Amino acid sequence: MTRLIAAEFRKLLTTRLWLWLLLTSLAWTAGYCALAIAVDNRPGGPGPALSGAAGQHALFAIGAGGAGPLAAILAAAGTAGEFRHRTAAATFLAEPRRARVITAKLIVYLLAGAAYALACVAVSLAVALPWLAARGTPVSLAAHGNLAVLGAVIISVALFGITGAGLGALLGSEVITIAGLLLYLYVAEPLLSRISALGSWTAYLPGVAADGLTQASQAGVRLLPPWQGGLVFAAWAVVIACAGAAVTARRDIT
Amino acid sequence: MGDDAGQIVISGLTKRFGGVTAVDGLSFSAAPGSVTGFLGPNGAGKTTTLRMLAGLVAPDAGTATISGRTYAALESPGRKAGVVLEAAGFHPARTGRNHLRVYCTACGYPLRRADEVLETCGLAAAGRQKVRGYSLGMRQRLALATALLGDPAALILDEPANGLDPEGIAWLRGLLRDYARAGRTVLYSSHVLPEVEQLADQVVIMHRGRLVRRGTLAELTGGRGGLEQVFLSLTAGSGRPGGGPS
Repeated sequence: MTRLIAAEFRKLLTTRLWLWLLLTSLAWTAGYCALAIAVDNRPGGPGPALSGAAGQHALFAIGAGGAGPLAAILAAAGTAGEFRHRTAAATFLAEPRRARVITAKLIVYLLAGAAYALACVAVSLAVALPWLAARGTPVSLAAHGNLAVLGAVIISVALFGITGAGLGALLGSEVITIAGLLLYLYVAEPLLSRISALGSWTAYLPGVAADGLTQASQAGVRLLPPWQGGLVFAAWAVVIACAGAAVTARRDIT
Repeated sequence: MGDDAGQIVISGLTKRFGGVTAVDGLSFSAAPGSVTGFLGPNGAGKTTTLRMLAGLVAPDAGTATISGRTYAALESPGRKAGVVLEAAGFHPARTGRNHLRVYCTACGYPLRRADEVLETCGLAAAGRQKVRGYSLGMRQRLALATALLGDPAALILDEPANGLDPEGIAWLRGLLRDYARAGRTVLYSSHVLPEVEQLADQVVIMHRGRLVRRGTLAELTGGRGGLEQVFLSLTAGSGRPGGGPS
């Protein structure tokens, strides 16, 4: 198993996709945090004031948590990309027990997601702490449960990694997986979660559950409390990963 | 290794894709120390057969074994069988050397094996280039290099000469001949009949999913005419032009 995990890391690091997606994640985090701070306390500003708990949670959850979908894209490319580039044959010749290969990928993309999140957390702190302190809005990691939010962001992005890897294995097409992921997260789920007839059920959708985990507040969207959101999102990730592993085990590599 | 190390046995192998029977009750074997040429028109079922042998496609019936086991049941499969299925299967942005090192790591071989097989396959100079810039012949050599990483007891190759230049074809012929002389098994499919006549100890001819003839070159031709004549008469009538996985 260690060999397979090492091989998947070698695959990941011998092309540049991880770097481009990491830079995109960092740019999103820095950009979001800078914008949130710049418009803070202005009349008609988008969110709660950054002097309060809700504002600080949103800053970290949305800023650093933005790495989630990008970690999922990286992971989807890691599994579905094997079919796109037809490397799946060589991979399953080296290890015919396909479930072990998928397990190695899930572990690698969980760790890659956590690493993305750590880098984004560092950037969000580097932008927010000195800037807000200079404005007379001191932010303490120990206060308002900020540390818990940052921890939740790391768990969330790691779970996005697992979800993306599982979905890529399940669908077997890199383009369909990534397009489907983005359409679902940014179009379908926001629409679904505003249908009032669905009531509180929308809080259990994977992306909304992930927002519950990190408390990335969106106006008008009902979220689960962090521990429930985390469990629900983790359950989605595990179900999708198992489905991906099961389908991959039966797929003919033609 | 046991007595049957490298022995390839195909028995009653059958595969249907939708309503099409791609491989239909195929049986033959390939012995260590010999080269088996695997022939058939496009769509005859050769590639599907080799993919079932490599554990990539699940048969509907029958078995395909290497050293007495299915590929998936082999211990250290990369040391039992080296498989080339197509001159594709590389990430375009990865270098040839890194491609090989990935599979060294996955199989637990030392990383220097990557440089050794690059050398063997004449790619030492190209190893640090991205595969995107490789010609078809270079990709074919890289696919072969991947198969050679584990120094396997059997080589299973699907049209390995495809895309090679004359020098490459001569090199491949020498490599396969040496491999068989070293007591290992070589099973390879080809459309280049003069090439097969020069190299193969045994010829297996498939048509429309079934075995139509197997034997030594002398048995097949009976001293009359060449392999091409025999092949064309056995496979007369259209195969599956342009149809389905071959």
